[in-house]
Amino acid sequence: MDASDRRQRASEEAASWWVRIGAGELERTEREEFVDWLRESPVHVAEMLRIAKVNDALDQFQGWLQVNTDGPDDEENVVALPELPKSESRPALPRTAHKRYWTGLIAAGAALLVLGPIGLFLGYRAHVIETDRGERREVALTDGSVVEVDPESRLRLAFEEHTRRIFLERGRALFKVAKDPQRPFLVEADGATVRAVGTAFGVEHRKQDIVVTVVEGKVAVSGKETSLPGPASAGVTTLVPAAQSPQDLLLIAGEQVRMPLSTSTQPLGKESVRKVDSERELAWARGQLVFDDKTVAEAVAEFNHYNRIQLRVADAAIGMRTVSGVFDASDPESFIAFLQTDTTVHVTRSGSEMILQ
Amino acid sequence: MTHPDPKTRLTDWFRQWRSPLRKFLKGKRAVGASDLDDVAQEVFLRLMRYERTELVENPQAYLYKMASNVAAEWAIRSPRAKPHDSHWLTGLTSDDDPERSFSQRQVEEEVRRAIETLAPRQRRMLKLHHFEGLEYGEIAQRLSATPRSVKRVLTKSYASLRQKLDAQLLGDITDGRE
Repeated sequence: MDASDRRQRASEEAASWWVRIGAGELERTEREEFVDWLRESPVHVAEMLRIAKVNDALDQFQGWLQVNTDGPDDEENVVALPELPKSESRPALPRTAHKRYWTGLIAAGAALLVLGPIGLFLGYRAHVIETDRGERREVALTDGSVVEVDPESRLRLAFEEHTRRIFLERGRALFKVAKDPQRPFLVEADGATVRAVGTAFGVEHRKQDIVVTVVEGKVAVSGKETSLPGPASAGVTTLVPAAQSPQDLLLIAGEQVRMPLSTSTQPLGKESVRKVDSERELAWARGQLVFDDKTVAEAVAEFNHYNRIQLRVADAAIGMRTVSGVFDASDPESFIAFLQTDTTVHVTRSGSEMILQ
Repeated sequence: MTHPDPKTRLTDWFRQWRSPLRKFLKGKRAVGASDLDDVAQEVFLRLMRYERTELVENPQAYLYKMASNVAAEWAIRSPRAKPHDSHWLTGLTSDDDPERSFSQRQVEEEVRRAIETLAPRQRRMLKLHHFEGLEYGEIAQRLSATPRSVKRVLTKSYASLRQKLDAQLLGDITDGRE
């Protein structure tokens, strides 16, 4: 099914929903079905909006009196539309099992920059996703997985027949993996590999280390030596199933591992795994900054990573103060307002810079 | 919204999503064709960020409200945020602009042409619904058809009009009409 077939199918489904909705209140199960359908693809959303426009055009149309409605009442030209396909019979995009969880986690708020819609949605095979300072992106991949990319990150995608592979070259990203046992989802960072089948986890490629945090399901983490030799392999060299290799480290939901860059060739010990509040640890993925006794200078550096407006601390005493709290990454002003609650901070603006003193 | 009287509930049901729909269609920043996919992409992302249980309460209301919000937000944001939106902003000219009314005539013509490609039965039902304002059930009675077949014929008609109406036009159709 190519893109235009898919779109046509989507508009038929949208038309069907429009009519069902127009006929009266939908049952709860129907509304659930409608929500799931909308959340399956931006194309569905677009077609629903277009069908609304078609209806509006018909409501506004001035020439109805001249429209000839005579003619045979047979339905020869009216081909019956198939019933709305059930979700399991639709091959288009696998539905992720954990959307519901995610909608909660990624609660509204973050300002996202959005890529061109359709091409992106259908077209990522081997590609690079790169974000600038202040730019966050949510990218829907061809397999139904979704990646939330933090600012100043770079990912290279290599989706092959038997593997879905992503190289996190720098920065960090949160992966919500669509389940596909036949095609493991691999994220590589500095030689370390995180392997997942259908789960959600964050990977951060930082200056000193690689941090993997699991929100849902489980993943296997391996150091450099177990990197996969070829695309035909479904797992490690010896085709051991996920997380069975001795060097592998199995992480479950709520666990995190930090691997120093220099030693990521060494076997990972179970002792390097710690229990974390994954929602808090991955706050960055929904555009929040969590500070726990951070200095203002450190906090400012974090804000600058997310915004075009750059903060600069011109008074060392302010820079050394510590702050704790949760902030909207795209809103440095509220951070400044917070600072001003117990000290006088003078803010001078010059161009895209805000100087605190 | 749990009224005991089903009739009141039905009215509420329509009112609650028809008004966001009107806002989406008639907002000062009615969405142009080239932006519709972009708007849909952003709406899609917002839908993903909401609780499913919340959306299920009244999905259409959320859908159209988000769509009109996105359109409005993009219109007030700086050009940097949405580099190609300038063309449709400049397209929002006043109602008595001659060029604009010419394009409205074109819209009429285009819609007429599209309607005429449909089967007589489809045209009859569309006219009863969109011109005479009959509900599906009333159309069924008038034409001695089953409600099911009315719905089927209308569904087919909308999908087919959607394919026939020129893409650019679908975006422009409502611009500047209010």
